[in-house]
Amino acid sequence: MNRADKIGYGLSAALHVGVILWVVTGGQWFHPKPNEPVVISQVAVMSEKDFNALMASAPKDAPQPKPEPTAPVAPVEPPKDAAPPPKPAPEPKAKPEPKPQALPEPTPKPDAQPDVSALKAPPEPPADVAEAPAQIQPPVEEPSPTVTPDIAPAPKPKAAPRVAPTPAPEPPPEAKTSPTAQPQEAPKPEAAPDKVVEKPKEATAPPEATTEIVTEATKTVDKQESSAPLSSPRPANKPKPPAPPKPELAAKPDTPAKPEAPAKPETPAKPETPDKTETAKSQPKTQERQAAVNDALAAALGGEGSGGTGSAPVGPPITAGEKDALIVDVKQCWNVGALSSDALRTTVTVSVDMQPDGHPIISSIKLVGSSGGSGDAVKQAFEAGKRAIVRCGADGFPLPADKYGRWKTIEIDFNPEKMRMK
Amino acid sequence: MMRFVLTMLAALLIGPVAAFAQDQEPLHITITDGVIEPLPFAIAGFIPETPDAADMASQLTQVVSNDLTGTGLFREIPKSAYIQNISAFDTSVKYSDWQAINAQALIVGAVSMQGGKVAVKFRLFDVFSGQQMGDGQQLAASPASWRRLAHKVADVVYSRITGEGPYFDSRVVFVSESGPKGNRQKRLAVMDYDGANVTYLTDASTIVLAPRFSRDGTKVLYTTFETGFPRIKMLDVATASARLLPEVPGTMTFAPRFSPDGSKIVYSMEQNGNTDLWMMDVASGQTQRLTTSPSIETSPSFSPDGSRIVFESDRSGTQQLYIMPVAGGDATRISFGDGRYSTPVWSPRGDMIAFTKQNQGRFHIGVMRTDGSEERLLTSSFLDEGPTWSPNGRVIMFTRETPGAQGEAALYSVDISGRNLKKTPTPGPASDPAWSPLLP
Repeated sequence: MNRADKIGYGLSAALHVGVILWVVTGGQWFHPKPNEPVVISQVAVMSEKDFNALMASAPKDAPQPKPEPTAPVAPVEPPKDAAPPPKPAPEPKAKPEPKPQALPEPTPKPDAQPDVSALKAPPEPPADVAEAPAQIQPPVEEPSPTVTPDIAPAPKPKAAPRVAPTPAPEPPPEAKTSPTAQPQEAPKPEAAPDKVVEKPKEATAPPEATTEIVTEATKTVDKQESSAPLSSPRPANKPKPPAPPKPELAAKPDTPAKPEAPAKPETPAKPETPDKTETAKSQPKTQERQAAVNDALAAALGGEGSGGTGSAPVGPPITAGEKDALIVDVKQCWNVGALSSDALRTTVTVSVDMQPDGHPIISSIKLVGSSGGSGDAVKQAFEAGKRAIVRCGADGFPLPADKYGRWKTIEIDFNPEKMRMK
Repeated sequence: MMRFVLTMLAALLIGPVAAFAQDQEPLHITITDGVIEPLPFAIAGFIPETPDAADMASQLTQVVSNDLTGTGLFREIPKSAYIQNISAFDTSVKYSDWQAINAQALIVGAVSMQGGKVAVKFRLFDVFSGQQMGDGQQLAASPASWRRLAHKVADVVYSRITGEGPYFDSRVVFVSESGPKGNRQKRLAVMDYDGANVTYLTDASTIVLAPRFSRDGTKVLYTTFETGFPRIKMLDVATASARLLPEVPGTMTFAPRFSPDGSKIVYSMEQNGNTDLWMMDVASGQTQRLTTSPSIETSPSFSPDGSRIVFESDRSGTQQLYIMPVAGGDATRISFGDGRYSTPVWSPRGDMIAFTKQNQGRFHIGVMRTDGSEERLLTSSFLDEGPTWSPNGRVIMFTRETPGAQGEAALYSVDISGRNLKKTPTPGPASDPAWSPLLP
């Protein structure tokens, strides 16, 4: 046998052995799946008499469903175990709907086809229709055809002798006027007789003020207010689902942020009491050391000083709220009503040294700069600013005492740009 | 030794901090909102220093107070609120007493009769600054001119506090009217700015219109109908004598106004159905035509420097305001709002132009910049017209007429801010006011 015959016999033998092994062992791995068990349903047989009785008890006023010719009826899939229908479902054209005028009975209601509609695929609402506001708007009251004259017109500033950034109503006749409103304080009945009883503050009200100069022309140019809406508001979009409430926002008050209260001065740390167990010999040494530290601190700080000699507490920076409080205090005394037109075009910078209690040092008030005017205009503008500082500083400005070093000197720009006649 | 070491250590640690504290930048704030309200002041009375000056002192105090409060910029504090009683001119002022009643300015004065003249001296104090404002002043005049003394005092106080120029010591010439509306008799009259001391300059024999003061206040131009047609007359205020200006036969001349130096007169002349502006040299009577438009040009008014003229013209179809060089030439329209504009008058300060505006059935007095910007209407009524400026350019006086058969004309004034609109008292109906310059 040559080599080729050997290879042929070998392959033949290997294939035969493989076939024999597959026949012997292949049934365990490749046996056919057993048939699924047949589901048997219990069916009760009903006689024709029982069927007629059952049909007679059914409600008769239910209209028979009528296939609409224009609306294709979804094909009804027959149950698998049901007998095939004798005839295919009739096409809508096969049953022409009678003409509407020929039918005396009412038109069928849409819900008269519960079975069919249930099988209908739900129609996809067009996107634009889904966003149509008319379907989601709450019912809106139709406007009354009659004119309602009691619609309050928009508030307009009326003429008042005082023009201020914040309008103020006419004060009650019995109230004294002051730059700021103050409630009346009741006398304290429990005050000790030996103490100085403070006089109860009288109720004060700010003087009547308007926010702008109201000329006669301004007052009379206003047209008759009409109750008709001036414009038709565009319907709102579909409301979005409410966002989950944020507890931290809900907790915020509506009132504007108040200026930060001045930080309380830190109380000096109490010196630690010496340990009682310490020997008497060590006490003088400790006291001497403490005294040395105190002396060193005093020497480094320049000794005892007052009135801004370097011992003023600097404290943290002045906050925006503290600045705003100062601005509010000064501006209510800055009267530009008697200033000339030229002075109203002049900005002056006024410097003033302050006492630690918040009172200005009058003699220190000086002009440090000006722009927009010259000569008499600068002088008038400076004097108006000076009067504002002196008048409203008479009761002391609301400044944090622990930051005295930061407001020991104040420079104020009096810029009347907003107060000019326009 | 230990003390020294600790001192050095503390100095090293705290020294920079202390130095920083001492070198703190000033706290800087900016105030942009103030208040506009009358400034409260006190007059501690003009103290009579001679027995015969008591009445004069009382009247003079009242006029000064009226002048200041009449501006709307000041408010007098009632004397019942005064704490300090100033009984002599040299009494030291207790500023705290005046601060307590919120007086921001204090006037202390005295009056005496010396050699047949009234002598007035006064000081003005800034109460909250605790110092005198300016120097004290003393004025003297004949007893008949005591009101001018009071106006002078008020002018000084007004100018020192506000920075505006004075205007109380000035006069107004106007047309005094009498009789029923269909047959009004009109004559020229002149009065103090506050309505006092009315003097009639012409009789009621003919209709007179639109008087205008010369810049020095000695002459008045006005339009008269004594020839049956409007003619311009120039009147000498001191002598009340008047003369007609030269005319071209067959023409009508009206709406005259002096140039700032008083050497020229600009006016309107109707000739062959066309009205144009003309200029006349007062000394020589030589005339010069300024406009040649087929439309109506009238109501000319010089700028304070005499280089330009503002006038009204209907060359665009409706009455509008135009500015042209004093020698004539191209005119620039400056009014572009709704309605019709007329009777423009240039402010003595040169920065604004007052005008009459008619729009939607109402008349307004308004002001605008000389380029037409920042137009503001100050009044509104059935009929407002003919504005005239106070010498300091702060107040405008005009004519207001009420509607109906019983309607009357009256003089009103208003601050250029639009505040302090008030009626000027006159003996009867009055119209066409023209403010004089400040009296010398």
